[in-house]
Amino acid sequence: MAADRSKVENFIYHEARLMDENRYDEWLALWTSDALYWVPCGRDDADPKREVSLIYDDHTRLETRIRRLNSGVAHAQDPKSRMRRVISNLEIEEESNGEVNTASNFILAELRRGVQDVFAGRTIHRLRPENGSYKLVFKKVLLVNNDEYIDNLTFLV
Amino acid sequence: MNGRTRIDYDTLVKTDRVHSRVYTDPAIFADEMEKIFHRGWVFVGHSGEVPNTGDFRLKRIGSQPIIMVRDQSGKVQLLLNRCRHRGAAVCQYDQGNLRSFKCAYHGWTYKLDGSLAGVPYPEAYGEDFQRDEFGLTKVPRVESYRGFIFASLSPAGITLKEHLGRSAQEIDLFAGFSDEDEIEVVSGLHKYNFNANWKLAVENSMDGYHPNVTHESFVAAVMERIKSHPSPEHGKAGFNPDSFSTGGGGISKDLGGGHVMLDYGFRIYDPLNGDPLPTVRAINQRGEAHMAEIAARVGAERGADGLREGATHTLIFPNLILIGLHLRVVQPVSLDYTEVCLYPTTLKWLAPEVNEVRLRSHEAFFGSGSFGGPDDSEIFERIQTAAAADLEPWNIISRGMNHERRDEEGLLVGAMTDEITQRAIWRQWKKVMTQETGASARKRASHAAGERG
Repeated sequence: MAADRSKVENFIYHEARLMDENRYDEWLALWTSDALYWVPCGRDDADPKREVSLIYDDHTRLETRIRRLNSGVAHAQDPKSRMRRVISNLEIEEESNGEVNTASNFILAELRRGVQDVFAGRTIHRLRPENGSYKLVFKKVLLVNNDEYIDNLTFLV
Repeated sequence: MNGRTRIDYDTLVKTDRVHSRVYTDPAIFADEMEKIFHRGWVFVGHSGEVPNTGDFRLKRIGSQPIIMVRDQSGKVQLLLNRCRHRGAAVCQYDQGNLRSFKCAYHGWTYKLDGSLAGVPYPEAYGEDFQRDEFGLTKVPRVESYRGFIFASLSPAGITLKEHLGRSAQEIDLFAGFSDEDEIEVVSGLHKYNFNANWKLAVENSMDGYHPNVTHESFVAAVMERIKSHPSPEHGKAGFNPDSFSTGGGGISKDLGGGHVMLDYGFRIYDPLNGDPLPTVRAINQRGEAHMAEIAARVGAERGADGLREGATHTLIFPNLILIGLHLRVVQPVSLDYTEVCLYPTTLKWLAPEVNEVRLRSHEAFFGSGSFGGPDDSEIFERIQTAAAADLEPWNIISRGMNHERRDEEGLLVGAMTDEITQRAIWRQWKKVMTQETGASARKRASHAAGERG
């Protein structure tokens, strides 16, 4: 059975809007307990056991990330980033166990303290069906500039 | 001073205060490049970054672009990245492996040791053309300690050993007493930048007063994590935020020569790692010997913690910082723009699962997407911006001046939250900036060229 494309799109667009609007708790609630949120550093195919990542969060560390952002004293997000992103080039592939792998491209405008930055990249999502929608199991974000100097990646990407 | 107005550093740096012009005056930045970075010892890289013949990385010494490359004989060379013919850069990538450097303009080609291998159509240079006079320019002085490669653009001066002094012992601890060939610096690197003066990052790295405030969100997150995921590991020696309070037990220390450290002696980073934490073990006899050395120095338990999340917290003046498991280089680019590279390290003799935890410990606090570093960078930019408000230009570094003391080694020490480290950095900065003895490397070079001409 092929995955329902519109259902997958809805999930991915919803996730994007939660990130754009800094809705941290709602974004955290999308994840399964066996989550892995990974932003490789230096190159897309880095081995996380041997190479450092920009972000490599299991669910516990993801909770810590959100707790910190909610603390009111995460200075790198005070003031918060203002963002809008566009997601496109969505490719969907369903696994035999019903989980769905997607790949999509994004372009993100991020404004903070008078400076607007553009981030772009490719995102791999792995979604698990739950209650008629999906939960996020795995997300890998391949930033175009993951081997360049990045001043601040404390917003959600 | 080449026609520039002489800068009176005595009016800018006092024992207890620093004038914000040190962050905003282009003439001071130019003077720093000459006196600090183009004359004294500067860390360039670790030999573990280029383990194989032909491995190279691009580096900087002050404003000078440098190729660090392991040559055919296994020696690490520091070469200026500039063709001797018409001046194009001969190496285009931050890192990689090459058999030679070929300039894309006219094809002058250099061996890995920098010597000129050949030029197209050499006849036109005549019979007396001496290829050996046209190798890539070498950095005049290069010395290393445990694989930490330092260089000086000045052909004469104090030795590296004299420069490092007491700080060499902190390199020992950071490296887990490993030999040069046992330190790996191939786990990628974190690169970040900020729009502020480089010295703000140097001062901050050794500031024991700021963590409980700047990093309040991190401290709170770690405490919450320990509470919600208690484990025997964490219970035994958990994070103690009081150590960053006055009377908390941490020590700030002046090692001399502008080298300073914070000796906090407790665990910060790996409470954020998963449970259970891997047992720290060596996989060979050399490693076991190193672990014994570490235990003799700091005790077995703290030694194991140090191998998992970092054993020292030290600035090697002017811009090498050893914190946690990484080497950090603060690279001044311009007056108000700075680039920072963090090189996480692993050790060949450590169990692979421990090396993996080192990377996870590092990621918790460091890098652009982490829970610590970005908050510091935010502060640097706030300081740089606010320096415009110079109706009252002084920043105060007097904390703890009333109870400085000498420890059993004779080093000047204070409480963790004292500004001993800040005063020591500025004392050395002023000393170097007011040293007029000895021509700079740049002046020597132009003088030599004049003699040849």
